Amino acid sequence: MIDKDAEFLKRLLVTFKVEADEHLKGMCSGLLELEQGALPERQTELVEFIFREAHSLKGAARAVNQVEIEALCQALESIFASLKKLELPASPGLFDLLQEALDLLARILPDSGAERPHDDKTLQRRLISRLEEAGKRKIAITEDSLPPFQGEGRGGDGVDGVDDVISASSHNELHPHPNLPLEGEGTKSSKSALIPIPSAMPDTVRVSTARLTSVLLQSEEMLSAKLASSQHVLDLRATATAFDSWSKEWARVKPLVQKFKSSKTQGENDEATHKKRSLTRLLDFLDWNSDFMKSLETRFTAEVKSAERDSRALGGMTNNLLEDMKKVLMFPFSSLLEILPKIVRDLSRENGKKIELTISGDDIEIDRRILEEMKDPLVHLVRNCIDHGIENPAERRAKGKPQLGTIRIAVLPRDDKVELTIADDGGGIALDGIRSALLKSGMLSAERVAELSDQELMTHVFQSGITTSPIITEISGRGLGLAIVREKVEKLGGSVSVESTTCSGTSFRIVLPLTVATFRGILVRLGERLFVLPAMYVARVLRIKQEEIKTVENRETISLDGEPVSLARLAAVLELPVSGRETMASDLLPVVLLAASDTRIAFQVDEVLGELEVLLKGLGRQLSRVRNVAGATVLGNGHVAPILNVTDLLKSAVKNAAYSSQRSAVTDTGEPANRLRSVLVVEDSITTRTLLKNILESSGYAVVTAVDGMDGFSRLKNGSFDIVVSDVDMPRMNGFELTSKIRSDREYGDLPVVLVTALASREDRERGIDAGANAYIVKSSFDQSNLLEVMKKLI
Amino acid sequence: MDETSNERQRILKARAAALAREPEKSTSEAERLEVVEFLLADERYAIESAYIGEVYPLKDLTPLPCTPAFVLGVINMRGKILSVIDLRIFFDLPNRGLSDLNKVIVLHHGAMEFGVLADAIIAARWIPRSDLLATLPTLTEIRAEYLMGVTEERLVVLDGGKILSDRSIVVHEEV
Repeated sequence: MIDKDAEFLKRLLVTFKVEADEHLKGMCSGLLELEQGALPERQTELVEFIFREAHSLKGAARAVNQVEIEALCQALESIFASLKKLELPASPGLFDLLQEALDLLARILPDSGAERPHDDKTLQRRLISRLEEAGKRKIAITEDSLPPFQGEGRGGDGVDGVDDVISASSHNELHPHPNLPLEGEGTKSSKSALIPIPSAMPDTVRVSTARLTSVLLQSEEMLSAKLASSQHVLDLRATATAFDSWSKEWARVKPLVQKFKSSKTQGENDEATHKKRSLTRLLDFLDWNSDFMKSLETRFTAEVKSAERDSRALGGMTNNLLEDMKKVLMFPFSSLLEILPKIVRDLSRENGKKIELTISGDDIEIDRRILEEMKDPLVHLVRNCIDHGIENPAERRAKGKPQLGTIRIAVLPRDDKVELTIADDGGGIALDGIRSALLKSGMLSAERVAELSDQELMTHVFQSGITTSPIITEISGRGLGLAIVREKVEKLGGSVSVESTTCSGTSFRIVLPLTVATFRGILVRLGERLFVLPAMYVARVLRIKQEEIKTVENRETISLDGEPVSLARLAAVLELPVSGRETMASDLLPVVLLAASDTRIAFQVDEVLGELEVLLKGLGRQLSRVRNVAGATVLGNGHVAPILNVTDLLKSAVKNAAYSSQRSAVTDTGEPANRLRSVLVVEDSITTRTLLKNILESSGYAVVTAVDGMDGFSRLKNGSFDIVVSDVDMPRMNGFELTSKIRSDREYGDLPVVLVTALASREDRERGIDAGANAYIVKSSFDQSNLLEVMKKLI
Repeated sequence: MDETSNERQRILKARAAALAREPEKSTSEAERLEVVEFLLADERYAIESAYIGEVYPLKDLTPLPCTPAFVLGVINMRGKILSVIDLRIFFDLPNRGLSDLNKVIVLHHGAMEFGVLADAIIAARWIPRSDLLATLPTLTEIRAEYLMGVTEERLVVLDGGKILSDRSIVVHEEV
């Protein structure tokens, strides 16, 4: 029973945390607005609002035994009761004290039951007594400090009087019934009594984001069902055409059948009559057969039609579902931007600057996942504005600017995108600073730096290691921040740019997609693997001739629009075995030209398969960041394909240049690279297949895989192989059958076959040898050097 | 009433009785460990059930470039991408035998989640903590820090929490 109570309390605390966060946010934003000086009527409203928030939080805290929070809220409530009755003047000192109290409140909210450090408790005691003391400084004593708030002061004997007024409505919450539902009702009823719920959000329910995300993922999975269904329809249509060829063949023999039917009996003897009778039966059957096929065709056509209809319906439903699901995840920008006023206030105090923050367009909605990802970049940019952008008041005065600096945040819809502007009216980014930082980093030569235009120079602020701040402060100056901002924004499929004018300020413009939407990607093949390149970085897809590759300064280049562009092999950059397929001089090589910021590099691939719509998915917590890979996507056939990170690829390609020059050295002397031995691996288990493939590829073989004997044999027909490595136990055609089939084939009769199998018995081994296998390796004693040795012997 | 329906009644009653039985005292629960036992390259291992989300069939593994060897690739688990790890490579075990990895055991703790491959799932079972022997270096080649212990029947019980919180299993590499 004790356990159950503890469990109940734990759940109650989770609910309390959510509610407390809301009250705290309300108090915080109310207090900020109050401090910035609102109109008198608004002031009265705000004081009332904050007072009620503090009161509600106090009640909720009492219900879950959070004595400390309750005590702090009690003190806050007293202050606001006095403010309400105009007994207390609002001074800057008071605001600081109140903000401090809110900070402490935020810190001591119960979080996973961790014990708070002792100094928090002392801090709290001290804060409460300071609050109490501040409450005593009634208007009579400090009348000269600031004018009191205007508004109708209600008579009464202090806090208790006010408490009486609302205690009736909040009764519920102060003494919660144990059976009270955890979410919704309890908190709502007390809230609706105190603050009117905004009418813009009727009938809302609270659903955990984890649950919502899971629903979204499942709806996204419907996309593969949709694609599979349309693939199915295509297959059915292809099958339907088979009836056409039957019709053609039948039409050809039909006259013949008719002729036989009408022909007269020629022989008179019994044998002839007998023959005639058999022929008639056969001809009747052919007629029946033709009718049967025709009705089959009609039925099949109907089936195809209904499959088409279902597929269309499924497609429509899936699209609608996804569309609605995306809307469910849309949140207004305000939920992200509301953290900023507090940050700006605190940081500008710390830096001794005077800054006003204006926010517009925060009611525009965007995918919650984008908002979450944008939090760090946004906070970073705002911190940058405060730390580097806006000058201190003395400097500003000297420049003839108003002392009060401004940070402007604006959200604007742009077609199907959103533009977020973070601008300050500070000193701007010093171009000379970027120049010297670039030189110091050694990324560019002095001549190149001198050549850069102002705009080109400006793009370098997003490079890691570039900072114009002469000192490294706690909040910025390490030159990493803007690089991370760009990486995050680009990962979301957005872009970031900066404009800066000396003396009049800096403005960062971030363009974001509205949803974590699908984007266009180019599907390419390397060996048997598929990769997606985001289309926004693909400047061009082209095919080049071998002889167009020139070696310049030991690097392979091709000429595009009269300019040399470096050429890299995508497989080599991704550290994959480069396919061993020999390329004829006449073959056209598929090349993808990738471009990001000011770098352009051409990447050679094995095949460009086409353009498609992809949805970027993260690789999970364990793969926090993988070089050259941005994420993955699920293709129409359910397979997962990695989406490559183009910024990384370009960097890797530059690093890889050494490798490229080695290859070109070979090409220069005209010696063909040693032809790779090619292996056909036939294995139905995906892991064993992958494992074998990896072992063989890393030992320098070119590997083609097949999923069973049947598949293996057809692949054999379409390629040239030096050896076959096959499993025994497989569906459709097993390893023994495959071996016999190879042995009895005229063309491949001599091809070495290695069977790798779990069947260890002597009989199986003999069966393998009977079938004509050259080697028989038992899986349980498998050792890769063993296999490689055997293979070496056989080829 | 015919024979089979009587028989069915009897079985259902027996089952109901078994289900209705009070679970064993919680005092003993502190002394035993619920684990999932699995087979990996002819060795029997177990991981505490608390760290296991589910067992998923390995259908379609996509290898990822530029990852350490112990990362075999990623799979699509109901629309979510899950990374899959080969514990043998992560533990630096000698590669003996070609195993038939076809199950993914999804491990999770807090926000961390990934899959480890197994040849087969043997059973979910309780083992008394007292059965866990401090590991002898001769019994297994896995470093002691990843082990909870080994039972007398040579079942190697891995420390799921330790593996999940190990920083070296997280891949975070810049170019």
